[in-house]
Amino acid sequence: MGASGTPEPLVDVVMPQMGVSVSEGTIVAWRKQVGDWVAYEEPLVDISTDKIDTEVPSPAAGRLTEIVVEIGTTVDVGTVLARLATDARPGEPHASENGAPPTSEAAAAKGETPAPATPDPAPEPAAATPAQAPRSRRRYSPVVSRIAEEHGVDLSQVEGTGRGGRVRKQDVLAYVENGNGAAAETEPPLHIESPYRPDPAPAGAPAPAASAPAGVYEPPAPQPLSRMRQSIGAHMKRSLETAATCTTWIEVDMTAVQRERRKLGVTALAFVARAVIDALREFPALNAWMEGEKHTVHDDVNLGIAVSLGEDGLIVPVIRSAQDLSVEGLAKRIKELAMRARGRALSPDDVQAGTFTITNPGQYGSIMATPVINQPQVAILDLEAIVKRPVVVTDAQGDDSIAIREMTILGLSWDHRALDGALSAQFLAAVKRRLEGL
Amino acid sequence: MATMTYLQAISDALREEMRSDERVLLMGEDIGVFGGAFKVTDRFIEEFGPQRVMDTPLAESGIIGTAVGAAVVGLRPVCEMQFSDFVACGFDQLVNVAGKMYYRQGLPVNVTVRLPSGGGFSGGPFHSQNPEAWFMHAPGLKVVAPSTAEDAKGLLIRAIRDRNPVVYMEHKHLYRRVKGEVPDGLYETDFTARVARPGTDLTVIAYGAMVHTALEATEDLDGASVEVLDLRSLVPLDRDAILASVRKTSKALIVDEANETCAAGAQVAALIAEHAFEDLDGPVRRIATPDVPIPFSPPLEQAVLPSVERVKEAARELLEY
Repeated sequence: MGASGTPEPLVDVVMPQMGVSVSEGTIVAWRKQVGDWVAYEEPLVDISTDKIDTEVPSPAAGRLTEIVVEIGTTVDVGTVLARLATDARPGEPHASENGAPPTSEAAAAKGETPAPATPDPAPEPAAATPAQAPRSRRRYSPVVSRIAEEHGVDLSQVEGTGRGGRVRKQDVLAYVENGNGAAAETEPPLHIESPYRPDPAPAGAPAPAASAPAGVYEPPAPQPLSRMRQSIGAHMKRSLETAATCTTWIEVDMTAVQRERRKLGVTALAFVARAVIDALREFPALNAWMEGEKHTVHDDVNLGIAVSLGEDGLIVPVIRSAQDLSVEGLAKRIKELAMRARGRALSPDDVQAGTFTITNPGQYGSIMATPVINQPQVAILDLEAIVKRPVVVTDAQGDDSIAIREMTILGLSWDHRALDGALSAQFLAAVKRRLEGL
Repeated sequence: MATMTYLQAISDALREEMRSDERVLLMGEDIGVFGGAFKVTDRFIEEFGPQRVMDTPLAESGIIGTAVGAAVVGLRPVCEMQFSDFVACGFDQLVNVAGKMYYRQGLPVNVTVRLPSGGGFSGGPFHSQNPEAWFMHAPGLKVVAPSTAEDAKGLLIRAIRDRNPVVYMEHKHLYRRVKGEVPDGLYETDFTARVARPGTDLTVIAYGAMVHTALEATEDLDGASVEVLDLRSLVPLDRDAILASVRKTSKALIVDEANETCAAGAQVAALIAEHAFEDLDGPVRRIATPDVPIPFSPPLEQAVLPSVERVKEAARELLEY
């Protein structure tokens, strides 16, 4: 025990460099208090950057001796946030804590007789729990770890039925199927086959609000908005105030896409993304940024895909140089980014440099929307539900008939400062042509 | 469709292909007048004559070397090694000459070498080996190993038509033990793996005679759903089928009749470890013959060859892991 005044080895916890573009971050919450034991890579502090919220893992195991930067303060990358004493041991009192009893092994090692303990004025329940962690630590197979990560499962909660209580694949799968795990519940499909749901059972007579006295309404206590909601709100408001937003719709026959996508086992979104990329190459004016007087037309298509994070909000990870990817490549990247977004594992670089955005909330059955442009981009495409409809089709002889086709309505919100309605309509027609001509 | 033994299916493939393609000829020790040590080419000499069913001296190097020459000028020879063990005498012609001809000279070598392999009948150390891994390690050669009568015919026809030298492992123990429906006429079986039995809890990967051992051992394992993958082809190895199966079940047991070190199963295990690591829920297990010669003594031989019981035990351990 370093109780005799030897300088204790201290490790600095600094604001990490998260991707090339981030230069500063704000402390959102400290997960540990001064005096707490921290394991190596255990989340220590939550930070927020202009792009993303994340947590900083501890650079070493030790005891948190000092918190340098308080909650709400914004500091540069590399700034010392806290200090750790690495000579501390879990369960041991800190060097500076006089009067705390030495552990019996340590005392025995030094040949001391443990003195009757003076009661610790500030007992540390936190110190006891991590002390047991290494002893009860379980090992998990690669597939179990992966499934747990994908579904946000805390494996320590899962009962193992394998050898020696090992958590097997079927254990974690059963755990997820029983409705546990964070992402498992909230992860919506990127697209679903049919938007229709059975009609809900007719509700009975509305329950009379018997207990509520008429006249006086007591609202529940207001809650502060989450940082993500605040950030989304500010961004959307700024977009509507900045851009001259118009929306144009086009109806597209997705029957061929649906057939192809089922063959490949990918979502329709990937096909739409590919068609949009091709159309953007044809109409580069929509693959652009508008920043005040500055108008930048891009060669690369950095395609943003809006991913819902459930009630928390949404985030738009970006597929860089998406023009280089096939439909299957896009499908794979979209899936991977969505998984990482829902696992809160995106890095700031993953959400940078988008030049065009696609949003796809159609899994709930909605058919039209007026999306808000993701600034400084000049347009955003909205893919809603794909619905079977009777439509008039014309055969090779020019004869008309009514057929059941899988239809959707693509909506394009565009910035009238950067382009005009004719161009946006041409762009949508180009997307439609590609999707129907598969 | 006709019901045939594994051996009859091999004969049928040779006969049909010889009838349809004049370039196909057979070479080997005692395959003509005697009809072959295992009677695979019984009476072939009567139908096709000694020019196409050639009895050769006891010289494997000469058989394979002559076949390579014949292939280079456009014929499609099929060589029979009386026992796969004897191919060691023809090693240089097969590995260095046939295997590297296309790389060096740009000349295809359309040769098939049939290797009656495997143990289980007290043949001893010179008549029971499974030397497929020797050839898997030699670039330029393909290696296939059927486990059923239908595949024995289809893979052999495909091998005869393949423009590369193909080593065709035919398991002696299956010759008259395995029977099955075999399609009439000519058909090719691709050099890919086959799901012998679909399952979800564990994948047992095998080829040749071990497919039957694997199927029997996992027939009834307390209701567990065990997939058995029959590799059929060792070079090329059907990587997609192996990985797809392991990704589904997350557990793999690989059974080789060959000696354990550097056997085909070692390659499969390496592939899984490298490419399916994140899908594994247990160690990749192997069962093979220990690195010893195959004993003459029947009880000793049964002790070294992978048995139904050993496969069962390993499968149980993995399922419970």
